Amino acid sequence: MMENPWISGLVYSAVLVTVLMTAIAWISWFERKVAGRMQSRLGPTLVGPFGLFQPLADALKALQKEGIVPKDADPFLYRFAPPLTMALALGTAAVIPFTPHFLGSDLDIGVLYALALSGMMAFPIWIASWASNNKYALIGGMRMVAQGISYEIPMVLAALVPVVLSGSLSLGDIVEYQHVNGWFVLWPPGVGLGAFMLFFTTALAEGNRIPFDIPEAESELVAGPTTEYTAINWTIFAASEYGHSVITSALASTLFLGGWSGPWLPPLAWMVIKTSVLFVTITWIRWSLLRLRSDQLMALCWKYLVPFALMLLLVAGIWTHVRP
Amino acid sequence: MLEQVAFFVVAVVMLLAAFRVVTATNLVHTVLWLGVTLGGTAVAFILLEAHFLAAIQIILYTGGVLTLMLFGVMLTQRQQGVTTVGNPSHHLPAGFVLAAAVFAMLAGAIFRTPLPNAVAQGSNTRALGVAFLTEHVLAFEALSLLLLGAVLGAIVIARRRDAGDESEIAGPAIPARRKLEIGGSR
Amino acid sequence: MGLIGYLLLAAGLFSLGVFGLVTRKNAVGVMVAVELMANAVNLNLVAFSRFHGGNTGQVFALFSIAITVAEVVVGLALVILLFRARGDVTLDLASELKE
Repeated sequence: MMENPWISGLVYSAVLVTVLMTAIAWISWFERKVAGRMQSRLGPTLVGPFGLFQPLADALKALQKEGIVPKDADPFLYRFAPPLTMALALGTAAVIPFTPHFLGSDLDIGVLYALALSGMMAFPIWIASWASNNKYALIGGMRMVAQGISYEIPMVLAALVPVVLSGSLSLGDIVEYQHVNGWFVLWPPGVGLGAFMLFFTTALAEGNRIPFDIPEAESELVAGPTTEYTAINWTIFAASEYGHSVITSALASTLFLGGWSGPWLPPLAWMVIKTSVLFVTITWIRWSLLRLRSDQLMALCWKYLVPFALMLLLVAGIWTHVRP
Repeated sequence: MLEQVAFFVVAVVMLLAAFRVVTATNLVHTVLWLGVTLGGTAVAFILLEAHFLAAIQIILYTGGVLTLMLFGVMLTQRQQGVTTVGNPSHHLPAGFVLAAAVFAMLAGAIFRTPLPNAVAQGSNTRALGVAFLTEHVLAFEALSLLLLGAVLGAIVIARRRDAGDESEIAGPAIPARRKLEIGGSR
Repeated sequence: MGLIGYLLLAAGLFSLGVFGLVTRKNAVGVMVAVELMANAVNLNLVAFSRFHGGNTGQVFALFSIAITVAEVVVGLALVILLFRARGDVTLDLASELKE
């Protein structure tokens, strides 16, 4: 029965979406706990043991809030933007190999598909900002689009380093290559580590996490592009932002840290461990570093990251020819 | 059978979206409907076994060109915040006649030519890459020069030359206030 | 449906693009219509590549996409320059002749 592509596709999608959405909900708990501890306080503790049911309480609160639609907001686009963002964030999970056998779809252009969808995420948020008919939201939206398209370039170039080293655009093949030849972050020395750090930094920028969160800078723009969104719509946006962070952590661990390959634990455990480590690092950075200003952000991208990425790609190309 | 249904759905969506592209009054809606059309083309590319091209279409067009168009719309608003100046009410009858004539000419050519009908071979990205670097390498290099020229040219053309303007890289899209009458030149 | 379906779809998109090109008053609207026409051409190229065999059509479609992107970049830069010079990008054919 599982050979029928329709049934296996439906089962994979159902499992993936359920697991991801549950993970996203509990990530909000995790982030609040980590934030609390880093600021010498406890974080949520009241609802359930260790505050573990806090996401349920948040969901119930969001569901019963009044949904206010601004007067001159574009009626269709205002409602259409949140589910589109969520769909793009979840769609990337289809090509990530979680175990050697559980892979939604081993596309022969897996890397490009993942990059295309995550690069498109700036777009529905821009639609949300424009449809809100609010100038602060529009400023946030334009900043986010400028940041998103600028940082997409070093991200694609950094993601091309594992492609060049392993000779295939398919994520399943990249992980198989790392299973045999060692993780890219360790070997080839230097290039893999540089590309990993570049990819991680640009993924932070794409997901609007600190230090790159100028579009949703709370001290400047209220809530940025999603200012006019209330209740459940805003929850969907927040969830899709967390979803984007999780998926790019999974993508980074697939491309550079070897995905499911590792010594003696089962593959799924390795995948979960690697994704969690990266996600913890993202949260850790969020509560430690300061925010970059718009012009510093753009200067960083165009003057430093793009030449660095091009150099890495060149070195990776040379390595594939002279490798022992 | 499934492919035929998929093609039919894609074709209907694309034609509807293209119709809305050329008839929408609000310019931002025009650009967004163009996004739908380009996404539909990406799906059509997948149906035509061109997977690499579909991914490139999404990355370049919906991630790049659409953003450019949106910035273009935002930066050229005559009146702040009003993007409803795109009404296509200028030479409508000529437009109809010309579009109908072009379609008739193309359809006539299509129906008269004997068309090939090869079997699907599946998507082969590797062969595409090899073709780029062996058979069409000259065009590939020329293309890189063209893109360099285009980027440099755009920067040089659109750069502000007034004193006291800091770089406009990530600021909001508010155009300079100039008191000029419409239609007159500097 | 075969090749004819894709070719007719591309022809339809192209003629809608021509309609937009002739009818639109705003310069960015005209660029959007040109984009639509270029897209129809790419669809045509890839459809022929699939039904004729070989991948020359896909290679040319990729070149066409890159060239179109370059054209849009320069075109929008010119539109912005036009806006700075006149304050408005409405393309009124007769206005220049009236002066």
